[in-house]
Amino acid sequence: VYRLHGRYHEMAPNVVPMDYTKDPDVKLPMQLIINMPELKENPFKERIVESFSEDGEGSLSFNDFVDMFSVLSEMAPRELKAIYAFKIYDFNTDNFICKADLEKTLNKLTREELTAEEITLVCEKVIEEADMDGDGKLGFADFENMISKAPDFLRYCFNCV
Amino acid sequence: HFGSGVASYFIFLRWLFGINIVLTIMTGAFVVLPELLAGAPFGSTLSKTIPKEHIESAQDLDTIWSLGARLRPLFGYLQYSVLFYGYYGRDRKIGKAGYRLPLAYFLVGMAVFAYSFIILLKKMAKNSRMSLASASDENYTFCWRLFCAWDYLIGNPEAAESKAAAIVNSIREAILEEQEKKKSKNLAVTISLRIIANILVLLSLAGSIYIIYFVVDRSQRLERTKKELTLWEKNEVSVVVSLITMIAPSAFELVAALEMYHPRTTLRFQLARVLVLYLGNLYSLIIALLDKVDSMSVTVSLTCFLINSTNFLATQNFSKEYNLSTTIPDVRVKRNSMVTLEESHGQGSAASVSLVNKTASSSTQNPQDQCWETYVGQEMLKLSIIDMIFTVASILLIDFFRGLCVRYLSDCWCWDLESKFPEYGEFKIAENVLHLVYNQGMIWMGAFFSPCLPAFNVLKLIGLMYLRSWAVLTCNVPHQQVFRASRSNNFYLAMLLFMLFLCMLPTIFAIARYKPSSSCGPFSGQEKIYDIVSETIQNDFPAWFNTVITYISSPVVVLPALLLLFMLIYYLQSIARSLKFTNNQLRMKIQTERTEDKKKVVQMAVARIHNLDGNDKRPEQETDIISQESSAWSSTPRKNGSVLNFESPVSKSTRIQTISQSVPQTVPSADVARPVSATPATSASLTTAPSVSSVQKARNNHIASSYPSVVHGSASELCKAKPYPAVTFKKHTEDVHSEPLFRKSIQQVNPDTLGAGAPVFVGRRPYTARYFVVNENESHKKSLRSTSRLQRHFRKDEPGDIIELYPRNVRRYVVRTPHQVYSPHPSEDGEDEEELEREFINRSHRPRSLSDLRPAPRFYIGERADGHVLMSKDLARVHYKSWDDGFELDLDRPPYAYRKVHLSYPEPRVKPKSKQKLEQSLTESDSISIESSSDPQNSSNDQYIQVIHSKEKYPKPGTKLAKKKSKNSADLNLSEPNELVCSNV
Repeated sequence: VYRLHGRYHEMAPNVVPMDYTKDPDVKLPMQLIINMPELKENPFKERIVESFSEDGEGSLSFNDFVDMFSVLSEMAPRELKAIYAFKIYDFNTDNFICKADLEKTLNKLTREELTAEEITLVCEKVIEEADMDGDGKLGFADFENMISKAPDFLRYCFNCV
Repeated sequence: HFGSGVASYFIFLRWLFGINIVLTIMTGAFVVLPELLAGAPFGSTLSKTIPKEHIESAQDLDTIWSLGARLRPLFGYLQYSVLFYGYYGRDRKIGKAGYRLPLAYFLVGMAVFAYSFIILLKKMAKNSRMSLASASDENYTFCWRLFCAWDYLIGNPEAAESKAAAIVNSIREAILEEQEKKKSKNLAVTISLRIIANILVLLSLAGSIYIIYFVVDRSQRLERTKKELTLWEKNEVSVVVSLITMIAPSAFELVAALEMYHPRTTLRFQLARVLVLYLGNLYSLIIALLDKVDSMSVTVSLTCFLINSTNFLATQNFSKEYNLSTTIPDVRVKRNSMVTLEESHGQGSAASVSLVNKTASSSTQNPQDQCWETYVGQEMLKLSIIDMIFTVASILLIDFFRGLCVRYLSDCWCWDLESKFPEYGEFKIAENVLHLVYNQGMIWMGAFFSPCLPAFNVLKLIGLMYLRSWAVLTCNVPHQQVFRASRSNNFYLAMLLFMLFLCMLPTIFAIARYKPSSSCGPFSGQEKIYDIVSETIQNDFPAWFNTVITYISSPVVVLPALLLLFMLIYYLQSIARSLKFTNNQLRMKIQTERTEDKKKVVQMAVARIHNLDGNDKRPEQETDIISQESSAWSSTPRKNGSVLNFESPVSKSTRIQTISQSVPQTVPSADVARPVSATPATSASLTTAPSVSSVQKARNNHIASSYPSVVHGSASELCKAKPYPAVTFKKHTEDVHSEPLFRKSIQQVNPDTLGAGAPVFVGRRPYTARYFVVNENESHKKSLRSTSRLQRHFRKDEPGDIIELYPRNVRRYVVRTPHQVYSPHPSEDGEDEEELEREFINRSHRPRSLSDLRPAPRFYIGERADGHVLMSKDLARVHYKSWDDGFELDLDRPPYAYRKVHLSYPEPRVKPKSKQKLEQSLTESDSISIESSSDPQNSSNDQYIQVIHSKEKYPKPGTKLAKKKSKNSADLNLSEPNELVCSNV
């Protein structure tokens, strides 16, 4: 935590106080956070920060910051990771991963190198594969079910610290 | 940058490089070095001297370069160096230590093959094991490619870029596969096209083989007729072979476009064809060479015979004919000449001494030149060198200059060069890998005859690796159809193995079939090359070993051994088959289970829908679901997630339940105390549920608290969920009355209140701790739910919260007394206390409560501080304040607080250590807290109230308390960071 706070402080030394006795209501804007080396190259960095920020706007208080790092750490339980992964991929925060979300994910992932048809095809396939209640979008149950079967989800994905 | 495919090429290259290094070390250490160190020095023997008449020309760069022409006297230094078979001496032992060079040569030659086989098979086995381990069914291909694609560890931009490219590739691949599945096929057309394509390929293969044979033949004829060959004529064969190996694959690629196979099959076909082509080239070359060797060996034998005969009868005719025969080294000619010789011999014509001398000199030269092993080795080395030249040239010309042209001419060209015709060169992984395989095959083929070939290959591979990587990075674009290399990895290796086997055959054949040249090489003078082994065994090993060997090699032993081997192979294969079978079955099982899983989820969803219809039924179903799922931890998020449609209603209801639970505590107390503290807002439904919960709590108090928290949680949920009829309400009140503890406590309270004084604070402190613990646990439990939802619920149910606030405020002033009462009884539950408190509140201070509603907002303001409790270490007072605020926070901003609290999971364990007195009570309260979710809120409020109270009314004790609390809070602070660290760890 100390180290984390050190880093938190580092990012904006003039904004973040070292003691929280007086001015406890400090938040860092997204721009600062996503420039951290851990997140800098991540295509979902904005989403990550947003889904961890309490106000949904992308500014992180230190609590959110700690949350983020603990969820992204190696030791975080799979379920927790799944929850946050779901939140990250759920771009419009409607608690479903719908086609629009998938398209955004794809575009971010591939840096918009795929053609429109390819994207729609992939989205359709994803939904076809993982959607189990047949509502045309992925709920959290679908997502978790799918992700828990992925062999390398825990190993590679989502470990940042 | 180009994805795993290109990387796999380079990995393969590196691996080959490693193999070649080992081979080089083997040959270098056991053959070349001993020969250099201990062998007869250069020029000491016939085979190591350069013929005098050629010694001047040997300096010529051209002759070194071209390594001499075939069948013409071969000169140049290289030919008489350790590079080739012919240099090695025939002495059985060399040096002082008696190193058996011929034996070593033979054994090393064999060991090269053996090592290659072993290392290849090992690698293949490893690969197949890996592929088996990572074999997963394809149900979620796209999902995984999408959601699990990104490696969150990637930190530098280049890696990120390459990763993105790899992801694009993999997605494309998946799409292609999908499209291939869908594609409807016009069978007749495709089949006919494929037939045509195959015919074309076969034709081109046959053509290339014919060309090679023709070229070899032509070169032989040329050598026979011409005295001086041009550079082109000397190197014709290898150039043609290299050209074919370069051009044919592209032709095959064009042909493959006709076939319209699945891209992966196309790749396979292409690879197979190119492999066949390469093999055909090598084989036709080696066959042509061996053919030549055949003729050469006949020549050698004839010349030997002729020399003998000339020594006996030196006739003019004879010598003339002999000269003729040497200049025209054709078998038939020789035979003819021999016939004529014999005739002339029969005639008994006279011979001149000078001519005999002449023939003798030529005969000394002849056998030395006709060292067929050296010749084969030379051809291989030549081929290898020219292949390297061509590779470099093609990289430079086709990739680099094309890239340059396209890059700089595209601005002033009439069409877009970069996207249309010339484009940039693609990096064709398959062809390149195959080329490596081919190259390695050449090495294997020539290694026996030219021990330094592996060393040369090492150099070549180094150069190739750097040149290739440079070319790839600067002037190539990734292949359009990128297929993951890992899958075809074993395929490459299999090809390499195939190549090794096929390349070994000619060598073995040559060793077994041909007599080693009599005048050069380590095996000269022996009938067969492998005789060296048996000879060594006979001569150098003790007699008993010899007999053992003869026994072992007798059919009595060999045949059973072979049988045993076959049986073993059969047995292992059957085992492997059965394992495969079981493997498949297991996979099927998993698949069916998964489909069942899917069904179950759907069923659950349907059940939820039904639940919505009737509120009464819902709880039972929910409990069912709970029981289905093993742990509350995993179940809660899933629950929330899967029933998303009904999310809000469900959550609301649960929320109501919790609220009701919080209210009930006040309600029963109100019952006992007569004046009803329940606010007007509490509805009938709320009051019923609370009673249940309180009953449950009371029960739970008596139950041993050692159950795991999960069980408690689910149980409580169950109880909560069941809507009890109004009757239970009364019952509960009765229970409360009948409860001995309650009675007792109440009785005790009164006296204590009368004598209240200092003990108040002593008692209070522990309680605060206790509540805190409760709170922690509670919140921990709550954190199981997805936080976002919780937040929402709270916001929705704000009226409920307000309801709760009433009693709290009411309580606020009375709190002190109950605590005083309970301080001496550490074993009591928090539950009872609370109820008692409420009783008191309701009894005495009810009117005041309304006026004191105002402070509540103040707590809300303090929210933020909660998070910073962890941080601030300096001021005790601050701690104190923020701590209190923290409790308030729990209520107001649940997600915030809960999340954080979740991190501090081990808190309850830490806490008890700091308190000596009330450990028992602490544990009890733990169980309680687990049991009901609303409790903590109340308790936290109580806590808060106490503090405020002490501050306001009793300034002195308040400060005392503050100090004590500061200690506590310090404890907390100490413990909390630890926990956070732990959770991180």
